[in-house]
Amino acid sequence: MEALKVDGLSINFGGVKAVNDVSFSVEVGERLAIIGPNGAGKTTLFNLINGQLSPTRGQIFFFGEDVSDLPTHQRAQLGQARSFQIISLLQNLTVLENTLLTLHGTKPHRFKMFRQIQDFRDVFEKAVYELKRVGLWEKRGDLVKNLSYGEQRRLEIHLGLSMEPKLLLLDEPSAGSTKEESADIIGIIKNLESDITVLIVDHDMEMVFELAERIMVLHYGEVIADGTPDEIQIDQRVREIYMGVEESTDHVGAC
Amino acid sequence: MVASDREVVRGPEQVKWIQFAPYFAVATILVVLPLFLSSYTQGVMTRFLVFALFSAGYNLVFGYLGLPSLGHAAYFGAGGYAVAVLKLHYGTDLFWLGVPLGILTATLIAALFGLIALRVSGLYFLLVTFALGQLLFSVAWNVKWLNSPGMQGIAGLSFPSFGIPGLTVNSTSYYYLVLLITAFCILALHRIVCSPFGHALVGIREGEDRMRALGYNTWLYKYIAFIISGAFSGVAGVLFAYYNYMIDPNHLGVGTSFLPMCMAIIGGMGTLLGPVLGAAVIISVELVASIVTPDRWPLILGGIFVLTIMFARQGIGVYLVELSKRAGYPYGSTKG
Repeated sequence: MEALKVDGLSINFGGVKAVNDVSFSVEVGERLAIIGPNGAGKTTLFNLINGQLSPTRGQIFFFGEDVSDLPTHQRAQLGQARSFQIISLLQNLTVLENTLLTLHGTKPHRFKMFRQIQDFRDVFEKAVYELKRVGLWEKRGDLVKNLSYGEQRRLEIHLGLSMEPKLLLLDEPSAGSTKEESADIIGIIKNLESDITVLIVDHDMEMVFELAERIMVLHYGEVIADGTPDEIQIDQRVREIYMGVEESTDHVGAC
Repeated sequence: MVASDREVVRGPEQVKWIQFAPYFAVATILVVLPLFLSSYTQGVMTRFLVFALFSAGYNLVFGYLGLPSLGHAAYFGAGGYAVAVLKLHYGTDLFWLGVPLGILTATLIAALFGLIALRVSGLYFLLVTFALGQLLFSVAWNVKWLNSPGMQGIAGLSFPSFGIPGLTVNSTSYYYLVLLITAFCILALHRIVCSPFGHALVGIREGEDRMRALGYNTWLYKYIAFIISGAFSGVAGVLFAYYNYMIDPNHLGVGTSFLPMCMAIIGGMGTLLGPVLGAAVIISVELVASIVTPDRWPLILGGIFVLTIMFARQGIGVYLVELSKRAGYPYGSTKG
């Protein structure tokens, strides 16, 4: 079954075609990495899938349902979770407040007005459980902005998972992390349940080749290659565009 | 159980009864002091309560949601005008009629204006709310039905009646009525800001995009908060009109809108009791200034404002809490 289907998706910013006629589909449980040089349109594509931007043309289907015109919050209710390239945790709130807000977001009682937030026992217990699992329980009262960068990354990804999403969009999960922190994140994603569909954008090739079952290459908003990691590694166009530097040094060597 | 949960949400702080001592002290003063005051000073204290309520309601949008409205006098004045029109055209000052009508009027206008104002944010939100408030101001100025014959505004208002034979309201009993209603409203606001809804408002202030990605319909949250805030402003307006004997277009205008903003900034925006403290500061300074140098009142207000921004940017309330924490006083969260 298709978790996500994108059909002829395009968006123009002024005259620039940031994403141009992109079509692909992702099976349930598939781990797809999207790579490409800076400005290839990877984050824009995420913004379209997630509803932060509306496409100029084209459609997006989420588990068969046309979500092209749904606002972001409704897509979240359907089961999309996202981590952002720039950490988007609520910096001036505590770790626990961030966790509670995340967990309440997809609950029907998120509009409740006259009961204190900590009196929703089931959500509260889950928050305690999640925080102990990420190892941030001791820091629950700290403001997020006082956590280290790696801790923030870990918290953000864990919170995304705690929404129990069907589709997880990870925009550069390893950006700014140390080697160990990256390895940590790879571990988390590898241990995900197999029915969660994951889309990853990252520049860390080690991470991409470690995690992805399939890789899609974007260049100037267009898909130029789509295949298994092995296929991508030997694809001539990808080598030209994406790893062009390596090729040119080869030529220099040949001369 | 409850105490330990609080502790968990607020972080690892000990909750002790002594941290409630300042609240008990203030509550005692508010209850006992007026018994020994002249009716004029009782009036000043009533004025304090009214503006404390106005500012606390306003702060739901300004402090918690982070949207700077400069037009909340529209809902405050609407509540007041509802009461005044009842008196002028229908000759009744029945409390049971005035309060619901005032709240209804304020709420409806907030529901309408919110649709327009929430299309923008930041400085533009300030300008749009300002413009909408001035619109209402000029309506009140120009529509004959909203003015007593031969003057601007509606005069001849009085303390409300309750339709109970033998019960008349004087400045003392009116003060206690206002105290009761204000306390009730602040408790209601406390419930709201501690609820999932209230936390979501702060979340939207801190990162609207993230809140959307988490599944929150942020526009709807803002709209509901705006209406609630307008309703509380309306209650304050009703209570104000009964005590002030008259209401005029200025009570809908920018001068009145500026007061709750000032109070919230001085006391501590984004906290429940900051605006109340701000109201206490401004009303007392207003009282002293009106006796000592009646013409210099805006200058003094400006001075306080500048001093607050320079030395206690988060507001005097937050500043005092921090200070007492540093002195080892086991104080609760600044968010209380």
